[in-house]
Order: sequence, then structure tokens, then C-alpha cells
Amino acid sequence: MANYHPNDELLMSFSAGQLPNALGLMVACHLDNCPACREKVKTYESLGGDILAECEEVEVSSSLLDKTLAMLDTVEENTVTSALFEEAANEKLSSIPKPLRRFITKDYDDLEWTGMSKSIREFLVNIDDDQYTTKLFRIKAGHELPEHTHEGNEFTLVMSGSFSDRTCDYNEGDFILADQSTTHQPRASKDQDCICLAVMDAPLKMTGVFGRMLNPFLR
Amino acid sequence: MDRPGINSDKLKHETNERSKMSALPQHKAQVSLMSNYRKNASTSSEGRSLTQKQPNELNELLLIIARDKDRKAFSELFNATSSRLKAFAMQCGASNADAEELLQECMLTVWRKAHTFKPQSGSAITWLYTIVRNKRIDMARKGRHETVQSDDLWTEEGGNYLEDDVSSELEGKAARKLLKVLPEVQKQVVFKVYFEGKSHSEIAADLDLPLGTIKSRLRLAMKKLDNVAKEQMSYG
Repeated sequence: MANYHPNDELLMSFSAGQLPNALGLMVACHLDNCPACREKVKTYESLGGDILAECEEVEVSSSLLDKTLAMLDTVEENTVTSALFEEAANEKLSSIPKPLRRFITKDYDDLEWTGMSKSIREFLVNIDDDQYTTKLFRIKAGHELPEHTHEGNEFTLVMSGSFSDRTCDYNEGDFILADQSTTHQPRASKDQDCICLAVMDAPLKMTGVFGRMLNPFLR
Repeated sequence: MDRPGINSDKLKHETNERSKMSALPQHKAQVSLMSNYRKNASTSSEGRSLTQKQPNELNELLLIIARDKDRKAFSELFNATSSRLKAFAMQCGASNADAEELLQECMLTVWRKAHTFKPQSGSAITWLYTIVRNKRIDMARKGRHETVQSDDLWTEEGGNYLEDDVSSELEGKAARKLLKVLPEVQKQVVFKVYFEGKSHSEIAADLDLPLGTIKSRLRLAMKKLDNVAKEQMSYG
């Protein structure tokens, strides 16, 4: 069970359907494994229900009900088949969380990872988002990322394995927010590779000598 | 319709532009339309609006639609909820025409997915809220396969996770209490999150208040909501 969670503001914006694409998917992945946050989302959705109930009524075109009634039968058929189709196509990708299956279409081992070093590899996830870049990082067991800080916010979700920082251990499902004030050097645990999903609104800024050298490759 | 992302400024901008073109200021138009609606509503028993319907009645209607594919129940639900669903869409920045398209999409989804409504895990109005929220996201992304759709974000049908059903059994009963516990100033900030998807600093600029004030109002609101949610549980 996850020990680190998205904050309440993020969960509320998620429940309001108002998070930027990449961040929304990341929160959805966390929720997949976190009953506590799902419970909060339910509260915020229920608040959404309250808000809907309190909306000042506006007039609806008198013909709209009839038009809608006329469409009821046609609608049923095509949507059901397309949903089944998608489900069948993605069923075998059990290691990728459901929210990401349209965006990461292969298992982790089959992805075309890039990166200059064998111990740190990355995969750019193509999610249409004006504000954020989304990447998977794969840190080899026992290896660490160069020490770095952030120019903007970086959200990290541990997808598999675990890593530790100066102060904390992070495991599968943990959701971490790093900002300008965070300098860290994540190290993957010795027993297995650590795969993280990272959503960042600005490139990493390397602080160590080695880091500056690596920086262009990590962009 | 080819519009970008969930909280895209472009979308807001476009819709703002469009609503500026309408002849009447939106607020006034809403008020006068509303009184017309109420007059009409009182003449027909099936046309009763949400305020006159008990939450249980909405639940019943949804269950009947799911079980019997009953068009009369569907029409009744449509009449009871359509004006608010449309109003919600307009509050989110949709033009009159877009709001009606969104409303229609919502009602078609109600018809198709009524079987996913579980009264024990939430009220009918909350379920309807999740539908209008999701449809708003999808309408903004129509025809753009590479972008995020509501089915990616809420992968379980109707957003229900089976194992959660028992623990939140009371959610339905306490619906419509959450908003009431919030003072006006906190409500105002919460509305901006739900309708406009604004960041804290954007809200601060909108309301001409310091960022810290917005953050603390939102934090207080969260805390209250959390407490109310916990109370609901313990009464179980």
C-alpha cells in the first residue's frame, strides 16, 4: 500500500476533471492502488454532485428531449463494440496500469528505452499536454540518478521496484512531488530495477559536476 | 470540435469569446429563463425539477432505466435534471449550443450506462455529476485519439471500485450536505476549482486576493469536507 499520496488539492482537481492530461493520468495510476485516496475522490465527487444540484437552472430547448429519445437505440450498438475492442487489445499488458495502456503500448521490457548510460534509461511517453512532459525512468538495481534539483515541479510515481532518497524510502504506488527546494539523488534498491513515471513542468537542473555533464542526455 | 486539454486556457478563451457575443448578459438571461422554467415545471407532474424531486426518486428512475430500458422513466429523469446539467456545462464555460450538445451526450450515456449506477456507493446526483464531468473532458477532445479521455482517467465503469462499495455505503444518504458546511468565501474558491479548473495563483488574481488567502481557504474547505466524510462513516 502506498505511503506517499497526492495532496488534497490535486485530488480535488482530479475529481473536478480539471487536471492537465499528464498529471491526471498519473493520479489515476496512483488511485488504482490506493483505496484511501479513492475514498477522498469519492468525497470530492460527492461535492461535485452537490454543486450540480445547486446550479441555477437554465432553459433547455423544448425539442431536445425528443431528439435525444430518437437517438437512444442507435447509440447503444456502436459504443459497446468499440469498448470491447479496446479491452481485448490491451488485456495482455498486465504490468502497465490501466490508465496508461493507450499511451504505453508495450510491456516495460519491450519498450525502446534510450539514455546514455546502461544504468539509467528513459522512455518518453507521448501524452498530449501543453504544460508537462511525461517520461518513464528505469534505474538499474543499486544504481542512482545524479544529484539534481528542479526548476519547476516534478511529480514521480513509483511504478515498480523501489528507490530511496537521503531521507525516505519509496515503494510501488508512492506519489512524490519535488519542487525547486528539493535536491535529491534517488538510488534504486539493490534487489530490482526501479521504474518510475515522472511528470515534469521544467527540465531537470543538475547540481553536481557529473550531473552537469549528464544533463543534456536527461532532457 | 477540436479543442485542447482538460484545463486548457484556449478552451476557456474560445468559449469566453463566444459567450461575449450573446445578446443578453448571461446572468440576467439565466434568471429570467429560470422563472419561465419554474412556471412550466409546475404545470406537469413529470416535469418536476430536481429541487422538487427527492434524491430517492432519481435513484429509482435510474434503476428502472437500467432494468427495463424504460423510456418514460428516461424522459422523467431528463426533465428533472436537464436544466441543471446544462447550467453546469455553461458554468464551465460552454456556449448555449455546446451546453445542449453536452447535455445530450450525458443523457445518452445515462441510457447506456444506467446499469453501472450502484445506489449503495453514491447518490444519483453524484453519478450524474461524474457523467457530465467526463463528457465535458471528452467533448473538448473529440477526434483527438492521442489525447487523454475520461475512460483513461476513470477506468472502472461509473468510477466504481467494487471493494469500496461497503465502506462508502453512507455516502448517498449524506449527499448534498457537503456544500452546506462551507462558508461563502470557501465555496467561491471551490467553485472556481470545479468550474474553471483554475490554479491557486489564477484564483488569487481573479479575486484580487493574496495567494496565501486562497490557499488557506481551500485548505480549510478540504479539512471541513474531510471531517464531514469521516462523520458519515462513523455514523454507520
